[in-house]
This record gives sequence, C-alpha cells and structure tokens, in this order.
Amino acid sequence: MAKLNLALYWASSCGGCDVAVLDVNEKILDIAAVADIVLWPVAVDGKYADIEAMEPGTIDVCLFNGAVRNSENEHIAMLLREKSKVMVAFGSCAVSGGIPALANFKERDEVLKRVFMETPSTVNPEGVLPLTRCEVPEGTLSLPEFYKYVHCLDQVVEVDYYVPGCPPTPQRIWDVVQAIVSGNLPPRGATVGATEKSLCDECKRIKQNKKVKRFYRVHEIIPDPERCLLEQGLLCMGPVTRGGCGAQCISANMPCRGCYGPLPGVIDQGAKYISSIGSIMDVQSPEEVESLLETIADPAGTFYRFGMSTALLRGANR
Amino acid sequence: MENFEPKIIGFLCNWCSYAGADLAGVGRMQYPSNLRVIRVMCSGRVDPTFVFKALSEGADGVLIAGCHPGDCHYTDGNYNTLKRIPLMLKVLEQFGVEKERVRMEWISAAEGSIFAGVVKEFTETVRKLGPYKRNGLERGGKVG
Amino acid sequence: MGRRITIDPITRLEGHGKIEIFLDDAGAVENVYFQIPELRGFEKFCEGRPVEELPRIVSRICGV
Repeated sequence: MAKLNLALYWASSCGGCDVAVLDVNEKILDIAAVADIVLWPVAVDGKYADIEAMEPGTIDVCLFNGAVRNSENEHIAMLLREKSKVMVAFGSCAVSGGIPALANFKERDEVLKRVFMETPSTVNPEGVLPLTRCEVPEGTLSLPEFYKYVHCLDQVVEVDYYVPGCPPTPQRIWDVVQAIVSGNLPPRGATVGATEKSLCDECKRIKQNKKVKRFYRVHEIIPDPERCLLEQGLLCMGPVTRGGCGAQCISANMPCRGCYGPLPGVIDQGAKYISSIGSIMDVQSPEEVESLLETIADPAGTFYRFGMSTALLRGANR
Repeated sequence: MENFEPKIIGFLCNWCSYAGADLAGVGRMQYPSNLRVIRVMCSGRVDPTFVFKALSEGADGVLIAGCHPGDCHYTDGNYNTLKRIPLMLKVLEQFGVEKERVRMEWISAAEGSIFAGVVKEFTETVRKLGPYKRNGLERGGKVG
Repeated sequence: MGRRITIDPITRLEGHGKIEIFLDDAGAVENVYFQIPELRGFEKFCEGRPVEELPRIVSRICGV
C-alpha cells in the first residue's frame, strides 16, 4: 500500500494540538511508517511554496488546528483544502473558535490598540500599527490582515470531519489516525473522536437532585470528590458537552469547561447551558433569582469559552 | 431612524398570553403590527436558542410572554422562564446586545388590553434602539 | 537589483514567523526582516474574564 500524505497545520492556535499528536508517544513512529508528513510546521520542515506546487488532492488527510484569525490563516486553509482529499477540523479552535475566539467579545480595533499601544511593556509614542503592506528601501513587505471576527474552519472552507477538544486527547487522536489509515471513516461531516452522549453519561460521580441555592467560583469551595459538581454549585458544562475526553477535568475535581463542544443537534452550546442552569436554580422570586445570578462571575465567557465562533450572537461585531 | 419598522418575534404561551392576544383581537384593540407571534405551549419551552436565533436571523426584538407566576398550566413551567430569561439577559449584555431588546411579560387570558399596551410600548422601545444588525455580517457568512 | 529570499514559514518552533532576506548584487546580505504574522490579542480578551479563569486561558498562549 502506498504511503499516505499527511499534513498538519496550525492557524491561530497555541501548538497544544500539535503536542497532543506527539503525546501518542512511541505510536508516532507507527504514524511515520504509514504516512509521509508533507507539512507540519512545529516538527518538520516544509514551506508554503512546496504546498502551492502540489497537484490538487495530493494530500490524503490534513489535520488543521487553530482558528481563522487573519488573512494568512484563511489563505492557508483554502490552499490546504484544495490540495487535500480529507480536511479535518482538529481541536476546539478549528471546530468552534476556541480560546482565541474569546476576542469576538471585543472590537477589532480595541484589540490592536491594547496590544500595540496600551500594554505597560509597550513603547509606541507614534502609535504605529502593523500594516498589510509596507514599503522599505529594498522592496515591499507584507503582513496578513487582522480580521474583525475570529472564524472557525468551516466558516471559510468545507470541512469533512471534526475532532473537538482543547486539545483532543491522545487516545482519541490515535483512534482517529487508525480510522484514517484503515479507511474506516464515518459519513462526511461527522464529529469523530468524541461520543454522541453528554459528558455526564461517562462521569462517575453520584448524581442526585439538582437544586442549587448559590453558585461557587472554583476557588471558593473544595468540592466533594464523589458528588456531582453542578449539584455542589460549580458551573460544570458537562450536561451540554460531548463526552469522549475521559472526564479528565472532573477527575481532577474541576468542573467541565465544555471544550468537546455541543451535543449532536445543538446549534448553540451556551444557549443550551443557560436553559439547563435556569431549571436547576432553587429560587422562586425575581429578587432571589437576581441575587443568585450575582454569584456567576462571567456567564458569557464561561458558557462560550470554546464556542464563540459558532455562537448565534456575534458578539461585538454583529 | 423614524421610518424604521422593527421586526419583533413574540413567543406567547398557549394557555394565557396567546389567549390574551386573542382577547385583544376580539376586543378590536389596536396595537402595532410589528409583532410576529409564535405560539408555544409554555413560556418555559422558550429555549434561549430560539431568542438568539431570532436575533441572528433578522429580528430586532423578542417578546416572551407567559402565565403569571403560580398560574402555569404545567405548575412550574413559567418559573423556569423566570430564572432563565434574567440569566440570558446577562449573557446578552456581555455580547453587547441591549437587554431592552428582549422582554419578559406575564399576561393572563383576561389581559387583552395589557397585551396591546405591552406590544405598543415594546415596539417603540425597539424602534428607538434601531436595527439589531450593525454591519450585516451573517453567521458563517462573509469572512472579514 | 539584488535577490530576495523568503523563508515562510519558519518551522520547528512554536508560533508563526517569516524571514525576508535581501541580497545585494554581489550576493551579500544587505538587510533582513523578521516578521511575525500572528496575533490573537490575549492582552485584550482576557479583560473581563474571572481571575481564577486566567491560568486556564493564558496557558493557551503557548501549548508547546
């Protein structure tokens, strides 16, 4: 069997997804045995020019991580889409925006102003901002355009499969790699490397009646490690999040942060969570509701921590 | 902005508020035609997804009306509304959406005139706020 | 007119980088520009997030 051509790319990301791929440990050698890696900036050499020179469809599978924050991210996404038979949105940023998409709560110009003018370590009295084109004596330099809005991958190119997680767990990555190698892939558009049920389904904690009198921030209590975190007043995203991660945060006595994204059929994870939180609040009068809500520090940032690109409301740039 | 006619989506509970709207109609009370009514079995059925989807697809305001607390046909459906909507309003504010665009009201089947009054007042509030969409970017639409 | 060598992307490091090297007629390096085409804006979007959340957000600055 001919070797597969594999590309891994990072757009607006942290590199954590690439490291998660390396976390399959010695199995990475098995990947190298069945696939040639044509592009993987973090680990091997390979230039955009090499990809541009390829025939369309040369790459068998592209694992694309990171959000689409600027015109370079978009350009490479389109380039890799053209050259790849299978395009995989890999990790929360590519699937739904992830942490970088929290910037959708802010105006584009405010982000630039803060970063390049106002931070304490910045000295920029002339207020110089990056330009997409800049003339220098030797020629013209260019930089990508910083977009107004942080997009996820399927908002700019067609995506064949989704692998959620921040980052996806090594075990799940290995499952995905095996599915690719064996050609045993689910129908196009499927989410792979995650379950179809909520995290609560695989959470081993004792679940009783969900009635919450007040919410706690994680530093305010030490939760009982046996009982459901939501019942103890911690905002656990488990009920509205896909399982498949092995409940790692829960095992560390921390509430789920929702990185595996919404359940099948749900279009807005945060909205669903508002719905479920509303029904477990053990209060009746509007005044009690108001004071209970005071105990939630940052509702939107918590409910949409990894999903701002796919949120129905478009934040500061609607 | 004077010529702006806002689009308002109204989720009315079957047992009280929809009947209240009916009464307003039967009583020939005048109220603005900006409201598009969607009948739901209970205000507790109104998932925040409905509200967000309405706004993202062209509504400028959303009205959610149900039975008065204690009067719910399903005992406590409207208590869920009472808890969900304020949380949703907090989230809306963080998204930079004026919370006046979403209004929760208790309207019984006997309160046709209150219904007409609420729609009148709410339409004017939303008219003053202007269109919901600022730059017309669609979800998943044009990149930029 | 001299030559221009573009290295894009710089690989085997964390993050995005691009180097533009300008050579003169004799083939000697005249000038080099190092560019970072990436920005996410943690400086701004961390504002408004709860303080206990920050260790878990800023760990996504670099996951390598």
